[in-house]
Amino acid sequence: MAAAVARTVQLRERGASPESIVTQGVEAAMSTLDAKCTLEQFNLLEIMLVGRAVMEVMKSLFPPGTERASTKGTVVIATLEGDVHDLGKNILKMVLVGNGYRVVDCGKDCPLEKLVNAVERELLTSAPLAVGVSGLITAIVPAVRKLKGLLNARGLGRVKVIAGGAALKQSSAEKLNVDFVAESAFDGVGYLNRIVGETR
Amino acid sequence: MNSLERIRRTVGFQPVDRPPVIAQVFGGAAALAGAPLDRYVRDGELLAQCQLNAWRRFGYDAVFSVMDVNVEAEAAGAVLTFRPNQYPVIATHPLSAQGDWGALVTPDPQRAGRMPEMLRALGILRREAGDESLVVGCVMGPFTLTTQLLGMEAALYLAIDDCPRLERLMDFATEVVIRFGLAQLEAGAHLPVVFDPSASPAVIPPQFFREFELPRLRRVFDALAGAGAVANWLHIAGPVQPVLPYYPQAGVQIANFDYCVSVAEARRLAPTLCLDGNIRPLAFVDASPANIEAQAKDLLQAFGDRGGFILSSGCEIPPEASPLNIAAMVDAARLWRH
Repeated sequence: MAAAVARTVQLRERGASPESIVTQGVEAAMSTLDAKCTLEQFNLLEIMLVGRAVMEVMKSLFPPGTERASTKGTVVIATLEGDVHDLGKNILKMVLVGNGYRVVDCGKDCPLEKLVNAVERELLTSAPLAVGVSGLITAIVPAVRKLKGLLNARGLGRVKVIAGGAALKQSSAEKLNVDFVAESAFDGVGYLNRIVGETR
Repeated sequence: MNSLERIRRTVGFQPVDRPPVIAQVFGGAAALAGAPLDRYVRDGELLAQCQLNAWRRFGYDAVFSVMDVNVEAEAAGAVLTFRPNQYPVIATHPLSAQGDWGALVTPDPQRAGRMPEMLRALGILRREAGDESLVVGCVMGPFTLTTQLLGMEAALYLAIDDCPRLERLMDFATEVVIRFGLAQLEAGAHLPVVFDPSASPAVIPPQFFREFELPRLRRVFDALAGAGAVANWLHIAGPVQPVLPYYPQAGVQIANFDYCVSVAEARRLAPTLCLDGNIRPLAFVDASPANIEAQAKDLLQAFGDRGGFILSSGCEIPPEASPLNIAAMVDAARLWRH
């Protein structure tokens, strides 16, 4: 982690822009991890270590109060009310940030209303691309099923809904009433990248 | 042949009258009885009555004194939050990665937290079910308890930042697990299942499992076997393929396998182990009884020539499962003829 930050500082001193460090350094490193993930040779520990380094690098490049000028889009994420297991969400956040997305984190145990309000609020300043919900326990399935309807009712039907986590990935997009069920954080980002590619 | 004999013979790959079936109904027993889950996990007598009701209703081959995954952590000082009709969650972990751990004191199962209630439930279950059914208790695996004591993220980072310190905590966790497991056997359990979800290859690298968790699991299972456990049962969910071949080194005899491990893989990677699994847990909520029956029959067929198989789900059957689906799985085994 310290080595990654030191390398970032060094690159900045040599004149590299923050954007180029993200796109050519951080995102390239995340792609390597993504490839390992596809080969089923990954685990949380490895992803968390990379994620921790990525977050520190991003903090070094964009200190609190400053934001990246351009991102691939905004993703609002949460672990829904009734579920306090937020490790999956936190990993998704790290992987999204490392892949060039802006993340609005609504935290764990998040009521649906709060999540939808956050999406609506984001609409004032940007066009939120997606909502990501993570679930370790099956008890939150009914809430996940309601999410898309609530977004539609507020005129936010264009916002994609992605579900992931040990409980939710046992189901299907159709049964959960979402746009995509991600096998892993990388799978979810891959889906978003495809959407971004299509809309550009 | 009663359930206990059926399980014993299945573990030994001996012929049985029919394949055993164990519905992993834990908190679901409260839902089936109309009891609040948050009371069920705090009241040993209620837990036992709900378990007995479910066991008598469906006729599967085991009863469980399983509350939730936080019993040992709570006994060691974790503060839990209990909400209506939900499993409790840890609000405050008892230890921090950087904090002073001082002298770690092993909780007394007769006094600490809800441990006495779990023991009370086991006493009632054994008295009521006798040796007709397998009476199953539950302890966490050493690494899982370690993650409960510190928090998952803190424990994983500590594994990299200061591994000897993490190992010290894993040794403490191993002592807690052994002491609680032995108390469960004394209270009436035929065996405690060892739940170790944090040791899944989805969470830690297989090398970490082999080097740090396997020897501690060995200590746990040696202690349980030495105290008369009917068998050593390890329950790790998720993609266990990389670690399954190492289970025998820990003294495991029954290995749970989840829906993401195929029958062919489980058979190939664990040829000497009794396997239990692996219907997708959420299917008990969102599939039909006919679908569950078909999946159960496929599994029974796939293991027909091998033996050493207990029909079950890949992990806990969710509390919101349909009773018809549980019955469909149990009936498939009870009516099975080769």
